Amino acid sequence: MPHRMHLMVCAGTGCVANRSPEVRDALVTEIAKRGLENEIQVVTTGCNGFCGAGPLMVVQPDGIFYQQLSPKDVPHLVEEHFLKGRPVQKLMYVPPETRTPLPKMMDIPFFSRQRLIALRNRGLIDPERIEEYIARDGYAALAKALSQMTPQQILEEVKISGLRGRGGAGFPTGAKWEHVLKAEGEPKYVICNGDEGDPGAFMDRSIVESDPHSVIEGMLIGARAIGARWGVVYIRNEYPLAVQRLMIALEQAREYGLLGDNILDTGFDFDISVSRGAGAFVCGEATALVSAVEGRPGEPRARPPRLAQHGLWGKPTCLNNVETWADVPPIINNGGAWYAQIGTEKSKGTKVFSLVGKINNTGLVEVPMGITLREIIYDIGGGVPGGKKFKAVQTGGPSGGCIPNELIDLPIDFESLAEAGSMMGSGGMVIMDEDTCMVDVARYFLAFTQDESCGKCAPCREGTQLMLDILTRITDGHGTMEDLDALEEVAKVVAETSLCGLGTSAPNPVLTTMRYFRDEYLAHIGAHKCPAHVCRQLNTYRIDPAICVERGHGCGVCRRECPEKAIFGEKNQAHRVDATLCNKCGTCVDVCHFNAVIVE
Amino acid sequence: MIRLTIDGKTTEVERGTTLLHAARFLDIKIPTLCYHPLIKPFAACRLCVVEVKRSWGMELVPSCHVACQEGMEVSTGSSHVLAARRLVLELMLARWPNVPILRKYAAELGLEKPRFASPLRDEREDACILCGLCVRACDEVVGASAISFAERGIGRRVATPFNLESESCIACGACALVCPTSYIKFEAEDHRGKPPEFLLDPNTAIYMPTAQAVPKVPSIDRDSCIHFQTGGCQKCVEVCEPGAVNHKMVDEEIEVEVGQVLVAIGYDTFDPTPMAQYAYGRLDNVYTGLEVERMLNSTGPTGGRVLLKNGKPPRAVGIVHCVGSRDENYHRYCSRVCCMYALKFAHVVKERSGAEIYNFYIDMRAFGKGYEEFYSRVLNEGANVIRGKVAEVVQAGWSKQKEGALLLRCEDTLIGRFREIPVDMVILCNAIEPRRDAEQVGRLFGLSRSPDGFFLERHPKLDPVATMTDGIFVAGCAQGPKDIPDVVAQACAAAARMMATISKGEVEIDPVRAEVMEEYCSGCRVCSALCPYSAISYVAERKVSQVNSALCKGCGTCVAACPSGAMTGYGFTDRQINAELEGVLAV
Repeated sequence: MPHRMHLMVCAGTGCVANRSPEVRDALVTEIAKRGLENEIQVVTTGCNGFCGAGPLMVVQPDGIFYQQLSPKDVPHLVEEHFLKGRPVQKLMYVPPETRTPLPKMMDIPFFSRQRLIALRNRGLIDPERIEEYIARDGYAALAKALSQMTPQQILEEVKISGLRGRGGAGFPTGAKWEHVLKAEGEPKYVICNGDEGDPGAFMDRSIVESDPHSVIEGMLIGARAIGARWGVVYIRNEYPLAVQRLMIALEQAREYGLLGDNILDTGFDFDISVSRGAGAFVCGEATALVSAVEGRPGEPRARPPRLAQHGLWGKPTCLNNVETWADVPPIINNGGAWYAQIGTEKSKGTKVFSLVGKINNTGLVEVPMGITLREIIYDIGGGVPGGKKFKAVQTGGPSGGCIPNELIDLPIDFESLAEAGSMMGSGGMVIMDEDTCMVDVARYFLAFTQDESCGKCAPCREGTQLMLDILTRITDGHGTMEDLDALEEVAKVVAETSLCGLGTSAPNPVLTTMRYFRDEYLAHIGAHKCPAHVCRQLNTYRIDPAICVERGHGCGVCRRECPEKAIFGEKNQAHRVDATLCNKCGTCVDVCHFNAVIVE
Repeated sequence: MIRLTIDGKTTEVERGTTLLHAARFLDIKIPTLCYHPLIKPFAACRLCVVEVKRSWGMELVPSCHVACQEGMEVSTGSSHVLAARRLVLELMLARWPNVPILRKYAAELGLEKPRFASPLRDEREDACILCGLCVRACDEVVGASAISFAERGIGRRVATPFNLESESCIACGACALVCPTSYIKFEAEDHRGKPPEFLLDPNTAIYMPTAQAVPKVPSIDRDSCIHFQTGGCQKCVEVCEPGAVNHKMVDEEIEVEVGQVLVAIGYDTFDPTPMAQYAYGRLDNVYTGLEVERMLNSTGPTGGRVLLKNGKPPRAVGIVHCVGSRDENYHRYCSRVCCMYALKFAHVVKERSGAEIYNFYIDMRAFGKGYEEFYSRVLNEGANVIRGKVAEVVQAGWSKQKEGALLLRCEDTLIGRFREIPVDMVILCNAIEPRRDAEQVGRLFGLSRSPDGFFLERHPKLDPVATMTDGIFVAGCAQGPKDIPDVVAQACAAAARMMATISKGEVEIDPVRAEVMEEYCSGCRVCSALCPYSAISYVAERKVSQVNSALCKGCGTCVAACPSGAMTGYGFTDRQINAELEGVLAV
């Protein structure tokens, strides 16, 4: 007998970290206790994308959305909703503006404004069961590609769709496949790049976790188009759940005869192995990735030859990102023309972004190309929390650039982002509010790229180090105007002369912040002030005597915690900071319960 | 062929040529650090960047890596290129301010004062600039992969696995050779100034066998050659323009059909080790004649200087004649050359080291043209000659001052007294003796040997180069000890004898010869063992013996010895002789 109700409990990494397995177990026990196990089925799904509000649960078929569940909410929830049919309002999503709970998932702007293609099955299927993927038309595209289409037709369809690589550079996928198809050399390989190293980006992880079969199916279709026999998924070992689900999916696909010899009785042979990355950001670069798969140090090499000619083991190789592969099955199912309707003239389809930073609705969103930053940040993301002002958004990960408030109506596609000095990258979006210091942001991202530079080419190895030195000097208040000029000069040369994408894009955060927020640099250098009070070495600390006495009664916690013993005062009396002793560590600000320490 | 323009000059290059090669062909200088002509491009130093015109604008590309394309427009010296190069160089100078090659390029690019200082500043002149040539040479060329880059980013460095001595390293020195800053050094261990040929260290794989080698062609040492260890490398093939290097050459046996053979297999020198009294091989600084000859050679281990084992010149040298010759226990014959080369040593050692010289002789055999005069000259130079055999060579004493010194005990027969002479070095003038394989060679050619083991000529006075076997000649020390003029004379004579036969075109043989009646021959081979001319061979297929009529002299030994009566004299069979007898008696 079919169940009358399905409880889709999110088991993405975010929700798992927020104890969603415990919620699921509590639900199962509670339902069993009430004797509802034949009526209500609990399903664990992949990531829903609304990670900031986890653990999440969607009650189907009504589509009632619950958020921030905890095991202790479960008895009440089961009693009220599943027995008595009264959805529990206090566990629903409440938009900050209206304060009225929105019961249905599709009423929540975060979900309703998205258009799901790569993430089409998120929250709807159990990623560890291939039957659920197949029930949602999974592997139909493969069947179509194998039985009704020639490799050339598959290629044509992908070309018509206008799909471009989702890994960052936006190279037209159809053209790439055609290069591999025409390249001489056997065997040919397909590779899935799942080395998602950008801080704050997790779309690839989420796709593999919530819908691993979509990637496998995409690779199968790609392999058919280019004539490959073997595929490799290179995935970060820091994604244990994704690796585990991918392994399960591969095993199930093999059991179903969807991988291996003579797939679907068409004489097509293909299999996929998994290569786990050891945690180097540069291995996301295609040539470095291939080098790592071959068991050599993950270092890029100069191109040409392209991977299409000289890839894995020196053979023609087609390398695409997780999201690109996941986009392929719907294109084959619905036709390239369908996909090409979505998006802008040059950038077709949808793109998944991970929305993080100073934003209300942290999570993963898939939107059509051409959507404006404003729509993403305010309509979907729910704006900046705490009533703060939006300042900038960093797109494209550590090597992308910062786009300021003035450009918030910028429609997002590959070209417009590049024009603004940033890039699409893999789709990371870090939202920054007025409390963010842009010099510090540039320094932060550069520290990341400097640390992740492989060190092969001189400009990237020495240049990122030098830029980081200069930025650290500026944020420490020792910067000079010559430093600023040198920084710009070095950034430009490093961008122009570096060997691989890491080096050529590493200066982007520096160049864009210098372009849009030069006044902040000047404030750091000229006035020795950090406008956002982030760079602690430029701050001065003062204790408001009134607040200290009236609210804190001179509690003395700052005095005790100050590592330099620079704070003086008696109990019940106002404390003060001795500026000559203060090392500007900011501990007093962090420990004061009454916000009596004023930063200037 | 591809046409492109570099700095306004149009040129044609072959497909696959890099921009760097094309530019160098046009004499355009481009600085490089990580490039080496024998190693694949790495494109990592980015100093060789040039500007290429693309549809979207000017692009900087590494010229060492990018191949020429039809219609390319390249600029190698624009301000854009120079500024980029200068800055990249400045970045590297910030870290390695004193490395000569960086400073040289800095001077060329007009970079006077680098602005930056890296926190990892390394002031050494021989700092590693991470060009990666060593790593690639070890991997691509040598195939050993003993070194690699460790760590990443700014911490990158060249290292062996786990920083331990690598077992993969074959000590070829390729890494040190390509290192542009001498950061990697190849040091032989300290052997206190000993010359390389005395050591067991690895040497270069391609070497000239000796300084005056004939033919003057280098050889490849299979044990040191990387190709024979890894199957790779072959850089010598790449650089050898005439294509003379061949790794596939192997030893081969060649069969040559000849009518005459000159046996000139030379001699061995007597090993004085069994003469325990002379302490050869037991005490330091006791040498044989050939060893001293090598020492005196200007391309030898000491560069021609006469030195003791401790590296000091000797103060006194004893030269012992007749070591192993004219000695009833070893060789009774006189080796003929020793007296003269001993005198030569006396002359040369005195001249080069100023040492006091003592020659110990039995009889001075200065028999050749000008030899006696040379003897007189050596005497006039102050060499001491003592007539008497050396009884023994002993260590002079155990005190510190006498360490290493030797004492020669002998009887001076001219004054009739025993003497003890202290010296630093003893030269043993050892005898000439037959080659150790003379017996096998003799058997091969059917040559007789005199009791002393040298090959016997047909007649000592009338036919000194021919042997008992027709067509086989001997010359040189294979026939008996002699000096170089005598060897040359004998060799010329042998050559003339052989030429005489060749120019005649045919060989006359005696009608008197032996013949096998195959129907009676049992194949016992008694005849072939007895034949003094090696004229009888055994035909294995038919199991019978066969006489080579060109070699047979008709001596009749085989006829007399044949147990089955199969061997007869040609034209002198028993029946013929009986018939002759009957005919004579019938009269």
